[in-house]
Order: sequence, then structure tokens, then C-alpha cells
Amino acid sequence: MNTIQIELWLYGPLARYAGEQSQGSYAQLNLELQAGTTMRDLLEQLGLPPEERGITFINGKLAALPGLDADLDISLQDGDRIGISHNKSMWPFQYRFGASQTKEVQETFRERPDRGIHHAYTKLDE
Amino acid sequence: MAKIMRINMTDRTYTFEAVPEQYELLAGRGLTSTIIHDEVDPMCHPLGPKNKLILAPGIVTGTGAPTSSRISVGAKSPLTGGIKEANAGSGFPPSLVRMGIRAIIVEGQPEEKDTYWLVHLTWDGEAGEPKAEFLPADEYLGKDLYKVFPKLFKRFGKVNIAGIGAAGEFRYGNSGLVFDDTQGRPARYAGRGGLGAVMGSKGLKFIVLDSAGAPGAEFADKEVFDKGRKKLTEALMSHDITKPKGALNSYGTAVLINILNEAGGLPTRNFSSGRFEGAAKIAGEAIFEGNKERTGKELYNHACSPGCIIQCSNTWYNEDGTEMVSCQEYESIWALGANCGIDSLDVTGKLIRLCNAYGLDTIEMGTTMAVAMEGGLLEFGDGDKAIKLMRKVGKGTPVGRILGAGTATTAKVLGVTRAPVVKGQSMPAYEPRAVKGIGMVYATGTMGADHTQGYTIAPEILGVSGKVDQFDRDKADLARGFLEATAFIDSTGHCLFIAFAILDIASGFEGVVEECNGVLGTNWTMDDVGRIGKEILAKERAFNEGAGMTSKDDRMPEFMKTEKLPPHNVTWDIPDATLDAVWES
Repeated sequence: MNTIQIELWLYGPLARYAGEQSQGSYAQLNLELQAGTTMRDLLEQLGLPPEERGITFINGKLAALPGLDADLDISLQDGDRIGISHNKSMWPFQYRFGASQTKEVQETFRERPDRGIHHAYTKLDE
Repeated sequence: MAKIMRINMTDRTYTFEAVPEQYELLAGRGLTSTIIHDEVDPMCHPLGPKNKLILAPGIVTGTGAPTSSRISVGAKSPLTGGIKEANAGSGFPPSLVRMGIRAIIVEGQPEEKDTYWLVHLTWDGEAGEPKAEFLPADEYLGKDLYKVFPKLFKRFGKVNIAGIGAAGEFRYGNSGLVFDDTQGRPARYAGRGGLGAVMGSKGLKFIVLDSAGAPGAEFADKEVFDKGRKKLTEALMSHDITKPKGALNSYGTAVLINILNEAGGLPTRNFSSGRFEGAAKIAGEAIFEGNKERTGKELYNHACSPGCIIQCSNTWYNEDGTEMVSCQEYESIWALGANCGIDSLDVTGKLIRLCNAYGLDTIEMGTTMAVAMEGGLLEFGDGDKAIKLMRKVGKGTPVGRILGAGTATTAKVLGVTRAPVVKGQSMPAYEPRAVKGIGMVYATGTMGADHTQGYTIAPEILGVSGKVDQFDRDKADLARGFLEATAFIDSTGHCLFIAFAILDIASGFEGVVEECNGVLGTNWTMDDVGRIGKEILAKERAFNEGAGMTSKDDRMPEFMKTEKLPPHNVTWDIPDATLDAVWES
């Protein structure tokens, strides 16, 4: 199969990257992509600079947080639901502790000295 | 010197007492829970004369510390049957501090049924202490608080108000204490656990405070305090979540709707799914855009209480640009929206306004409404009927009274097994099957299901030992760490939302401890945070044990263990032994 179908949700100001399909505060798109498309490729196709996005989900699993891009090399799969929020999005630690996350996020947290307990990573890495 | 005010509603008298030595370092939740532990028989009826209602501002409330205008309200809860602390942000607590009042203890009960009083508290310059008068409150009974508050301001001038709505008069298990927000709205609630019913059972409708002429807060060491205040202020001003035009100031707490929905953790249609197809329409981002469309301006949020830097309270506007309601919080929108299958901010706005008008907790009301929907009183998603049913709750019709009793009672009456409650109190907007950590807090906390019990953790207890590396390991330790650090923050008078900044910026957390030292004259360090929280929880747990609670009450509802939650198709699979381990070490 050369192409895949994904369901993409863009939240807040990112809705504008959906052009006419923007609903103002969000957009829902069904996209056909080349097989093997990565998250990096998807953002590029949308013209969405990675620093403008925030919390990101792949199939309900946490894939990236502001300041912590752990998903750029993930290859998207047919039927994936991708949710990309803006850089003012938040998901405090106490409300994501024990929630689903991609193995890439898990590994990133494991490698950090703080073990991923923080709410935002942008400032910490500066 | 600060005093404790004791109001006896049996004979309508009051006294001021020196703060006992053993209470000198206590404030906020630490003080309300200690007084309940020391003075209230845990087996008493929550609505009888032996229960007491305690109001206490926090350690640094009224001092100019940022985001610290919180008041803790405590009593034995008519909803859970255990100890309760709920807190709210308002101008009321700093005014209490200004008058040198460390806590108000309301006790006794009038012999006459259905008589209500208003306590008017003013500063007596000559005596150098506050004075109170008891005034009849009959003219305010059963009325919409949005109509009553302006009357109180007209009658008493520039005052702060604590009180109850019709829900408290009806002694509902779902009834909160209302406080005035910065614009004088009846919109800030110590909402959870039926504390309004306790106040109602005392025949007390309002406490009206006029702090004009009162001296202000006292400091043991102003320099130490100022140093701490500066550190915390810097942390709040720079963190992405708490800074001006940051996440909370732009989108309010409802910035979490889309996130929890994507995560599959937004309880939907009475906890039957973790994802709601209409979530994006009722999210914080939709509020921001909707207001822009309706008012022609980009609106950022306002402070619920004086001196707040974070300023997360929104206002939702009608199509014609007039104000509908403040505030559409994440929990409220979720409870009355997604959890009821309702995807309209105009409907959630109306329902939230009715909760404020009647004195109801929006979380308990939304979860009750969803149970009523599942029980067949109305269809999921039927906003018009939900509004009609809410009016019945406010009027106290027979069905209204059943709903007012709360989610657990309504589920029993309607034969609904999917009752999302722990210790009789309904769960907030984080599905524990999808977010297991918060589920542990719901189950093991002293207050019943409550997300605000586990808000932060003292970073030094995590250290670099890798304790939070994996959810599979050490989760009982972590849950206890959350509960303890949060009990401390609840005692400082700071809003829990400072937690977002201070967990990431360690100097901010140090600043909080230093502020406390500057007020109390203590030499606390970060190591004391856990100890202080532990002491508070020990008293709360002792009270609950005295009231008959055991580890069997630290359990999740059965349906969560057997029903798979979409979209992740997960059940609650944390073993009971792990829950018990939270309190066993």
C-alpha cells in the first residue's frame, strides 16, 4: 500500500493550518499521506513549525510535550488519530501520571534526571 | 494578636479566643482539619448541633503573597460522612486576616426550625477587635444569589460575603459555600462535600465582612517573607502555564478539555467513554474564539480573588455581547457538558450560572445529571431538559431534592449501577481508568473522589532515585507524596495552581516555604513540607476512622473494574493491595 489515511485534529491557533477547514478553535482533517510519512514530514506538509505546537497525541498516547519533541521520527500508520495542540497547551503531571504514552516518550522521560515529573519543558532546557 | 472567633448559633453569641499554643503554626486546611479532629465527634450527625463549620484563611493569606487569597472551609461532610475541606478564592479571606481572625468556628444550632441569620462583622476601632451583630436573613431565603448579592452590597457597602444558596437551605448533600469574586459575583465556591448544608443546618445564611479600619496582617520577619514572595512571584511570572497570557490566563482551566479528550481520559456520558466527539466545541480554545467573535476583542482571563498573578477565571458572553456567566471552569464544563453529552458552551454556561444561583457544586451536579440521564429522567445531550431539571433542584421539588442529595443517592434511587463515586463523593474530570495516578488519589484521599487532593509533590522526595520513572514502580509512594505536599499547599492559603510553577522551578517552592517562615517565625525547609502534610492527613484519617471508615472505603466503584473504557479499552486494574500500601508505610 502506497498511501495511508489519518485523522488529524488541530487545536487552538493551529486550526489555521487547516485553511478553509478551520472551525476557528479547532480543525478536523482526514488526510491521505504517503506510506512512511513521519511526524516531522506531516508538520512540514502542514507548514506547521514544531515550536508552535505543544502537547501531541498519537492514538490517544502522549507523543510530545512543549519543549520535548519525542515523536518527530515516528512513522504514521494507516488509521492513526493524531491530535496536535498549540504551545500554550498544558497537561499537568498529576493528570498524566499513569496515562498512556508512546514508548518514545517513555524512553525520553527515563533518560531525563527529573524522570518526567515536570509540567513544561521549554524553560527547563533553555 | 490573631484570634479565633467562635459563633454559637444556638443562642447567637460570639467570643474571641486567643489562638492556642498548639495551633500557632496552623492555618487553612491544617487548621480546619485540626479543629474538626479536636472538637467534633466523628460519629455526630453532619447536620446536627454537634457538627462544626470552620472557616480559615491560609498562612500567607492577606500578606501580599501572590495568588494566596484562599479560604479553607471544613466540617464533617454530609456527603461523605467523613472530614471535609473545600477551599475558595475570594476577597473574603484577606479581609478576615486584616481583622486579625485566624479562624471562625460556627457551632450549635437554633432551636427554631427554618430561621436564618446573617452575621455582620465589622472592625471596632475603639475596642481594637472585630464586633458582630446577628441580623434576620429571612428576606434572602430561597432566592437567586445573583439577585441577593447586589442587595447585600447595597445594604452593607464594600463588604465580602460568605454564604449559602437555596441548596444549603434545603440541606442538600450537594451544596457549597459561596464567596464573592473580584466583581462581586456569587461565583467562587468551596463547593465540594455539602458544606453549604452544614452552614444551613446552623441557621446561618451569610457572613458579611466589613474590614474597613482593621490593622492588617502580621509578620514575624518581613524581610524573610519578602524574599520568599519575590521567588514565588518570579516563578509564577515566568512559567508557561501561570504567566500572563500563558496557558491559564489565555484559555482558563478548560485548556485541559482537548488534552484529556485526546488522551481518552475525558469522562463522557456518565463515565461510559473517555472521549467525547463534541469536546473541541466546549474547550478553552472555543471559549477564547467564541468570546472574540461575540465581543470583537481578544479577552484574557481575570483574577477570581485579589492579588492573583495567574488570573485564570474566564467570563462567557452571550451572542449580543452581554455577560452570561463567570466562570466556565474545566470541571464545570466537563461535568455539565461532556459528561452529559452536551456540546454547547451556551448550555453549560446557563447550567453553571444556575449552580451559582442556587449554591450547588458544579461537579457533583454534572455527575448527578449524567446519572439522571442514564436513569431515564432525560436523554443524554438534552440541554433544554437539563436546564428545566436544574430549576427543580433550585426550587426543591421532590425530584429536585433527590438530585440535590448528590450522585450516589440519585444512582440508588434510579437503580443506576454506574455511580462514579468514592466515599459518596463524585469523581471529577479525569477518568481514573485512563489516568491511573489520579485514580489512586481519588481512592485513597481523605475527602472522597477529589482531584485537588493530589496536586503536587515536593521535588526533593523524588530526588534522582528514579521513583517516577515508571508508573509500574512505587506508585503508592508517589500517591502519598502527592497527598502530603498538597495538604501543605492547602494550608498556606496559596491557590493550588501555583503548583504548576513550583514543581518546575525549585526556587518558587523555596519561596513558598520562606513566605511561611516570614509570617510564622519558623525555620521550615523543603524537608518540612512532607512532614506538615503528613500530620494533617493523620488527623483527617483519624477522624474518618472514628466515623467508621476503613481501607474498604479506599476503593474504586465496581463498574470501573469490569467495564472497559473506550478508546483505550482499559479497566481499573490497580490492585487493592497497592491502594492500601499508600497508607501502610
